[in-house]
Amino acid sequence: MKAITSFEQLEGYREKIKASQKKDLPSVLICFGTGCQANGAVAVADAFQEEIVKKGLKVGVNIGLKTTGCHGYCENGPLVVLRPKDVLYLKVKPKDVPEIVEKSLQNDTIVERLIYKDVNTKETIAAYHEIPFYKYQKRIALRNIGNVDPKSIDDYILSDGYKGLAKALTMKPDDIIAEVEKSGLRGRGGGGFPAGTKWRSCRAVDSDVRYVMCNGDEGDPGAFMDRSIMEGDPHSVIEGMIIGGYAVGAKQGYIYVRDEYPLAVKNLQAALADARAFGFLGKSVLGTGFDFDIKISRGGGAFVCGESSALMRSLEGKVGEPRAKYIRSVEKGLYDKPSVLNNVETWGNIPVIMQNGAEWYASFGTKGSKGTKVFSLVGKVNNTGLVEVPMGITVRELVEKIGGGILGGKKFKAVQTGGPSGGCIPEAESDLPVDFDSLTAAGSMMGSGGIIVMDENTCMVDVAKYFIGFLVEESCGKCTPCRDGLPRMHKILSDITEGNGKEGDIATLEELCDVLTYAALCGLGSSAANPVHSTIRYFREEYEAHIRDKKCPAGVCKSLITYSIDASKCTGCTLCSKKCPQGCITGERKQAHVIDKSKCIKCGVCKDVCNFDAVRIE
Amino acid sequence: MEKITITIDGKTVEAIKDQPVLMAAKENGIDIPALCHHPELENSGGSCRVCLVEAIQGGRSRIVTSCNYPVRKGLEIRTDTEQVRNIRKGVIELLLCRVPDSEVIQNLAAKYGIKEPRFFTDEGESDRNKCIACSLCTQVCEDVVGVSAISMQNRGRDKAPGTPYHKDSSVCIGCGACAYACPTNAISMKDEKGVRKIWGKKFKMVACSVCGKPYIPEAQVNWIVRTTGKERSFFDKCPDHR
Repeated sequence: MKAITSFEQLEGYREKIKASQKKDLPSVLICFGTGCQANGAVAVADAFQEEIVKKGLKVGVNIGLKTTGCHGYCENGPLVVLRPKDVLYLKVKPKDVPEIVEKSLQNDTIVERLIYKDVNTKETIAAYHEIPFYKYQKRIALRNIGNVDPKSIDDYILSDGYKGLAKALTMKPDDIIAEVEKSGLRGRGGGGFPAGTKWRSCRAVDSDVRYVMCNGDEGDPGAFMDRSIMEGDPHSVIEGMIIGGYAVGAKQGYIYVRDEYPLAVKNLQAALADARAFGFLGKSVLGTGFDFDIKISRGGGAFVCGESSALMRSLEGKVGEPRAKYIRSVEKGLYDKPSVLNNVETWGNIPVIMQNGAEWYASFGTKGSKGTKVFSLVGKVNNTGLVEVPMGITVRELVEKIGGGILGGKKFKAVQTGGPSGGCIPEAESDLPVDFDSLTAAGSMMGSGGIIVMDENTCMVDVAKYFIGFLVEESCGKCTPCRDGLPRMHKILSDITEGNGKEGDIATLEELCDVLTYAALCGLGSSAANPVHSTIRYFREEYEAHIRDKKCPAGVCKSLITYSIDASKCTGCTLCSKKCPQGCITGERKQAHVIDKSKCIKCGVCKDVCNFDAVRIE
Repeated sequence: MEKITITIDGKTVEAIKDQPVLMAAKENGIDIPALCHHPELENSGGSCRVCLVEAIQGGRSRIVTSCNYPVRKGLEIRTDTEQVRNIRKGVIELLLCRVPDSEVIQNLAAKYGIKEPRFFTDEGESDRNKCIACSLCTQVCEDVVGVSAISMQNRGRDKAPGTPYHKDSSVCIGCGACAYACPTNAISMKDEKGVRKIWGKKFKMVACSVCGKPYIPEAQVNWIVRTTGKERSFFDKCPDHR
């Protein structure tokens, strides 16, 4: 490929590949995200390849076939999408492929058993965009994911890729910044700092060298927004960074990716090589005289390196530890030079903001939080996965409309947002709009966008203990409150869940919360108290039940519960006694059974297998 | 050096722009407890969190560490409010949990009315002894001495300084700067019969030609001679007899 050296050439190239595309060609799109690949997507793709040849057809002539990034509905993978029909097949196995080719590609019928079936309404839906999980989404950051082949720069260019860059390069840097400011885009990594303001401050600092960086060190348990973007649409991140580099006056960009994301690294590397070959990176980008390149830096596996100052130290090759940020990174960041660090999703939004304008972007979302946000919706909901919705959607809408309600028809108890140092919001508050300011006011935070849904069988003290335990492991150990405070907090929470809680423990926890919030060095430590603080705020009575009554109302904490069999419900089917690993359930056939509590290890198998709801937890 | 005035505890004082608030306070006779900051080390501080103060700037108040918070125009500092005292006391209590045997921390805790920590203590959990993981030792070794014989290892509660793989360091010169810099006397250094023992390694010492007292490790002399070009004969006598 000869490098493109002008905007006209880029448009010419786009027209050329557009013209070479066969219109309305029946096409198969196979999700090649990490989740679907783990579920066997590679074998499915091979099966399609084989079957198409077997039928005497040709890929690209009679049938289109490509692999794409993650559709977000990973639990139902491998996903196969048919275009232009807009049909989505779930959990596709290689053995399903001949039938799909025959029925849906050579003919116009649907393979009923592979389409979505709503657990609530029992309705089956074939059309991708009619499935509730997708219907209520507004995909801006995820606009190309699932549509383009991440390894094909042509595919990205076909989807209007690098149009935003071409437009930006005709503008003055200050005008680009003004546009980003006007869009209201706030940092998607958790801080929610206005991106345009950050860029302007960096540009204003007098320096020969400036840097732009992308934070791809996504570490929150259960969160995979950034991975999905880096894997599925790497060019959008690269294009955003080139625009950012031009706007702030940087010549070098860095993408810091956690090493546990091998596919993201691979796809980014391929995309960078292609972007260089096409002249989007390197000397004189698109013939404008602006030089810019991007390097990938792989993280070493520390959660704290997602924190901006620790990330920069790690990028410099030092131990990834945070530093005091009284002097901001926009003044003294990477190698003490003015630097802009934005998250993957933030960068991914930039090209489309440039292309469609700030007003278009600002038309989505709320007053203080513009645009859309990608969430990783997980936990006890029927539909889990990655979803992108306009800011301001309520927690309840997310859980009920997109998530399809709570699994097994149980009661919705709370959501935990913002990752391990986020907070819990109870069901009663779930009409709260999801945006930066509302979540913070409710004692939680947006964080990077993790949303964990909890049902009535979740113990909130246990939840707080889990997250504090995670943070104990991930604390870098540099400052006293986080290093030495979190283990003490964890011990108190463990005592409470084990029935050793004391009067005054709640007050002591609150005191420790204050020490962490006000005295910790970095964002990890100062927000680490959120899980405890928010659960005490909304579920104090649950703490009190553990401490005073030695009871776990949700029936989770093993030391505080006992299993017994309700004789009025037990039919004496003997199933539980057969399954009990301790052999401590006895009783005659067709007679009520009894659990020997002295031997019971509270594993819950009896409750799981009982068909008559006769096993009680107290 | 631009001189500006700031307010500390209601007192108007003169300070140098960008200098740490802790130093400005010290120069004006206002004492703020601090452990992990060393005036000779530009990047030290920010780790122990004992020197917390309330900083009010531009109408915004927040709790900051005075050892690395820069003096700026219009800054107002409060070192002894109820909130500052409570948070600082909380930090000291946690330090006491970490190193209950440290006299330095015991004394500091006593000043803040802490008799016994309310939480479990770390005694006997590791060989890190009285170390509060402030990293002054590793910073001195890297930034002042320039050998980087020790570095901070592990993370979280296990964070502590050490030589690579806890083996004898091939680059340590036995100078003991780490031990001198340590705020809690956590680094063991013993000089006996002309031999210094530190970080598990033994260093032969050079004796003063006047008083005969071994006073400096040979390896340190070699290092200084090699890196600064100083005459070797300079080290024949100890500082008292030069």
